[in-house]
Amino acid sequence: MSLEPLDSPDADVVPDRTPEELEALLGDLVVGRDDHLNAPGFVIRPDTVQETLSTLKSEAGYDHLSVVTAQEYENRYESIYHLKKFDDPTQEVSVVVPADKDHPVSESAEPVFRTADWHEREAYDLIGIEYDGHPDLRRILLPETWQGHPLSLDYDQNQPQIASLPAHVNPIQEHHKDAESDTMYLNIGPHHPATHGVLHLKTVLDGEQVVDVESDIGYLHRCEEQMAQNGTYRHQIMPYPDRWDYISAGLLNEWAYARAAEDLADIEVPEYAQVIRTMGAEMCRIAAHMLALATFALDVNGDFTATFMYAINDRERVQKLLEDLTGQRLMFNYFRLGGVVWDLPEPREEFFSNTRDFLDQLPGSVEEYHDLITSNEIFQMRTIDTGILPPEVAKNYGATGPVARGSGVDYDLRRDDPYGYYDELEWDVITEDGCDNYSRLLVRMQEVEESAKIIGQCIDLLEDWPEEERNIQANVPRTLRPDDDAEIYRAVEAAKGELGIYIRSDGTDKPGRFKIRSPCFSNLQTLPEMANGEYIPDVIAALGSLDIVLGEVDR
Amino acid sequence: MSAAPAQLFPEFIAETLGLPGVAGEVVAALIAAFVVGNIVLAFTGVAGPWAKRKITAAFTDRVAVDRVGPFGLLIIPASAVQLLAKELIVPEGVDRPTWDLAPIVLPASALLGFAVIPMGHLGPVNLQLADPEVGLALVFAFASIASVSLVMAGYASNNKYSMLGGLRAVAQNLAYEIPLIVTAMSVVIFAGTLQMSGIVSAQQEVLFTVGGFDVPAWYALVNPFAFVLFLTANMAEIGRNPFDIPEAPTEIVAGYQTEYSSSYFVLFYLGEFVHIFLGGAILAVTFLGGAAGPGPESIGFVWFVVKIWAFFLFTQWCRSALPRVRIDQLIEIGWKGMLVLSFANLVLTAVLVGVIV
Repeated sequence: MSLEPLDSPDADVVPDRTPEELEALLGDLVVGRDDHLNAPGFVIRPDTVQETLSTLKSEAGYDHLSVVTAQEYENRYESIYHLKKFDDPTQEVSVVVPADKDHPVSESAEPVFRTADWHEREAYDLIGIEYDGHPDLRRILLPETWQGHPLSLDYDQNQPQIASLPAHVNPIQEHHKDAESDTMYLNIGPHHPATHGVLHLKTVLDGEQVVDVESDIGYLHRCEEQMAQNGTYRHQIMPYPDRWDYISAGLLNEWAYARAAEDLADIEVPEYAQVIRTMGAEMCRIAAHMLALATFALDVNGDFTATFMYAINDRERVQKLLEDLTGQRLMFNYFRLGGVVWDLPEPREEFFSNTRDFLDQLPGSVEEYHDLITSNEIFQMRTIDTGILPPEVAKNYGATGPVARGSGVDYDLRRDDPYGYYDELEWDVITEDGCDNYSRLLVRMQEVEESAKIIGQCIDLLEDWPEEERNIQANVPRTLRPDDDAEIYRAVEAAKGELGIYIRSDGTDKPGRFKIRSPCFSNLQTLPEMANGEYIPDVIAALGSLDIVLGEVDR
Repeated sequence: MSAAPAQLFPEFIAETLGLPGVAGEVVAALIAAFVVGNIVLAFTGVAGPWAKRKITAAFTDRVAVDRVGPFGLLIIPASAVQLLAKELIVPEGVDRPTWDLAPIVLPASALLGFAVIPMGHLGPVNLQLADPEVGLALVFAFASIASVSLVMAGYASNNKYSMLGGLRAVAQNLAYEIPLIVTAMSVVIFAGTLQMSGIVSAQQEVLFTVGGFDVPAWYALVNPFAFVLFLTANMAEIGRNPFDIPEAPTEIVAGYQTEYSSSYFVLFYLGEFVHIFLGGAILAVTFLGGAAGPGPESIGFVWFVVKIWAFFLFTQWCRSALPRVRIDQLIEIGWKGMLVLSFANLVLTAVLVGVIV
């Protein structure tokens, strides 16, 4: 896939293969099968990771490494590479790499997929698997001084964790400061007006130009995966997704968990509930994109721009609708496995007319933003052709969502891997070919309008829904115990991109392993590609156009 | 048309109070300077804590200060107390006394500029402290001292963001000072004098008459091209959007101001506002007929105030609406665009004046 021209993906489509054909393709590389509910799983030896992945990438067309899940069993460590195709994300395959219990070493996939860099660092950080040939295997979420790997089985939570950085420094490590150097090292963040949360950018400047930028993340790490592993499927996990991407994208996140868990436990969601879910999720998308627009305007315009307040006002309108629907403004906790928690608010007519009012005024607002920012010459000067992210690079980094679509990658799980009610509705996937900050903004602004279309259709459907068929929840057992050792990876199109959940059940009512594939995590990894060689203001603009939420990056 | 030079403010005070001799002149000058300085500071006091908030709020669909006093006006003393009551934090490693002097140099330089500004009549009083023959050159000289202050602050703060802000301030001022002054020179060619009162009185002539209403020969009307150039360069000179690059809060935190707090911060803030008003005053004098306006000459000061506040409003409008240009783009606009245009304007004006006069 990497050899063929990317601007014409249909020119030489790699045929979809059955699991058996894939196994034949990989030949001796496969030492066993460990199928997941969503995809065939091939077990390989830890020293053949690069060979296997590059075969799958170049010959079978699996060009999207969605996530790397690592976990520890009683007798082994395991890394799972969840592969997909950007052309057809329903084509999935899992590459399962067991590693030795005493010396968990596995070959790094970084030379094949750039995105593996951060994912493997996270696996090393939290689980303790070492990746051979990784360019920079350091902790990523936890401080450098951390002792132990928190998601490993023998981790001692009570051991003291206070080791100062000086005490931790390796005395024979090379000293990087060079008296003759012309560059300047600058810490942007963790507290800075434009880092959108607690992000720390270690930048090296040559005058005003950025030579190198490295993101230091983990300031907002709250052990979300571990918390989910300690909650029961039925009720205790659902509140957490709201806290990942907390920029009012709550319902989109909840859907990620709902989708994975419902497929795992084989729960059918009533159609009526699917329509409500679709509507609520798109409202969240509008709210999230409005905030992205607002903060991007802040980053480019300066502190007191009118655009920010206007966009926040529009977000407030949709926030009120979400409040009516869910009873909450931020942490909705509205989805349940098998449906939603309650029906539309009464009186229904009022909710419908409020929603329609909002939809009616939205095109006018979007037009106003076009007048204010996208058609402003200074704004165009600042954003067009800055923060370039070519499509091949975006794919290699596993970038998804508006970031990938702004680079012309036509990838949207709502259409390509349908769930909810999306495939019954009329709407379009937006892509822009500019690959720059401006394109990413345009994609978001147009997606807002597409979301409005979806909401409008959902409203029409809900209004005409016969009263006796308004079934908001399927019958779900009080306690869910999926089959022992069932594994599933499911993703939805969240506000920032592909939000995936991997769950391995262990026969109890709590997940054995719960892994979150955060779109922001992968998207943020592309920042150096966009920023190196550009000016400081461009870095800030590129970061704004990535629209990251540190709550989701760090989890 | 050269009217008898109006009596200047210090002379008026000396005469009114009956202060004789050189000592009397000095005392009268000090009193006059004190009055003018306080007028300017009063503008700043209204602008900073109150007008700026109100204007920005109006542009961004918000309600601003309205809890304390009528229209929230008492927020002015409240904010003043609050700002001054804060702790003055002196970071380690700052280069004193440079670090302490920078916040004084900025407002001082801007205030000095008002020494030669003819602010018009208020009743019998002509609010102008001095009217030297090199007035316009002098006011630019005073105004450009401000960049020295920014460099001092940026360099002495021992902070990389401050440093970047200081460097940006120098680059920006170099790029825009020249077009600014060259454009102002076209006004001098029209007026034939550098003296401020001369420039103002040259604009009192009637350009043309529309329906019985005499349109004065304000240089903004005579040469709108020069006016736009001057306005743009002026925005960069005073460092407001879209040229607020030395501060650029979302990029380099607060630039040269980053390490300043409490009274030092207030002084910087004050200096910036005085600078905006000075920019407005220069604009009013060179292009908008100074204190001229409908009504008797004795309310000229009112018109002058209206003009500089209009300029202030304009800066706040830009702040709410315009994106910030990038530093390299700014330099490019300055050296490749504005400089060429301002020289073109100068030559054009010289030819026009040569042909017509």
